[in-house]
Amino acid sequence: MNDSIKQPSSAIAPLSTAWLILVALTLIAPFLGLWLHGVGWLQLLVAGIVWVKGWLIARQFIEIELAHPFIRRVMQGFILFTPVMLLLTVFLGNHFARWATL
Amino acid sequence: MTSLAIPLNEAPTETVSKGRVPGNKGIWVGICCEFVEFIVLFVVYFVARAHFPDAFEQGADRLSRLSGTVITLLMVTSSFFIACSVATMRAGQQRRSLYWLIAGLIVSLGYPIAKYFEIQWNLANGINGESGIFFTVYYYLTFNHLVHATWGILGILWVLARHLFGGYSPEDYAGLEALACYWHATDIIWLVIFSFFYVLA
Repeated sequence: MNDSIKQPSSAIAPLSTAWLILVALTLIAPFLGLWLHGVGWLQLLVAGIVWVKGWLIARQFIEIELAHPFIRRVMQGFILFTPVMLLLTVFLGNHFARWATL
Repeated sequence: MTSLAIPLNEAPTETVSKGRVPGNKGIWVGICCEFVEFIVLFVVYFVARAHFPDAFEQGADRLSRLSGTVITLLMVTSSFFIACSVATMRAGQQRRSLYWLIAGLIVSLGYPIAKYFEIQWNLANGINGESGIFFTVYYYLTFNHLVHATWGILGILWVLARHLFGGYSPEDYAGLEALACYWHATDIIWLVIFSFFYVLA
């Protein structure tokens, strides 16, 4: 019965894989702004990369799938907040600016 | 006596059914406060960006992308090393865990050094806190993050000192894991800041 309960991992390989993906995404990111300057979906791509990086760290390094639901929700909420706000600012920037004017 | 024994027996069952707390509860109170603080700062960024989209589109071109990329690689790599320190401790390899933690500390120290050179480069190129709304927000967010990272580096030093004197074991490594969680959270925040200021031109 205890076999079904997932234990925190002591394996290095999944951490290494996550780190390599994070490094690759980091090295690609600065060129995206140069290659795709002015392209409409650049913001969408960057928002996606921010989410993927945050998700990788939360899942592989912090192991949120094993964590208490409150911690899991806090992490998932924070990781999702920025990409969503980024897209809202890009596509509804004027409405957001009007709403945020004192 | 009986009333004292009941909570001790119930605790493990509760932990299994609800999921574990990585590290300890105290660090998660701190991480939640850190997230709330940076959400407020990110809202400041989004409001400023919505009001001055041109300044934000042109601002990133004037910053050193190399500095931003180096800091990101340092953060991600130190986070990886500290995660390895926790994993090897769980595996019962305490000496390896110590070496991973030392590696994490060395790499994390590269962040304030890279930041120093970045600021020197900024000032040499006429970029200071009064160079426009983009740079005001940039300095505000990045300095705040540097302060949080400095706390993390001090935390690594403390945990390293405890580790050196055998303060952690495969059965009890909550302090080491708590530090790791804080550093990973600070890493996630930097990844957002990196995309805000160095990628989105």
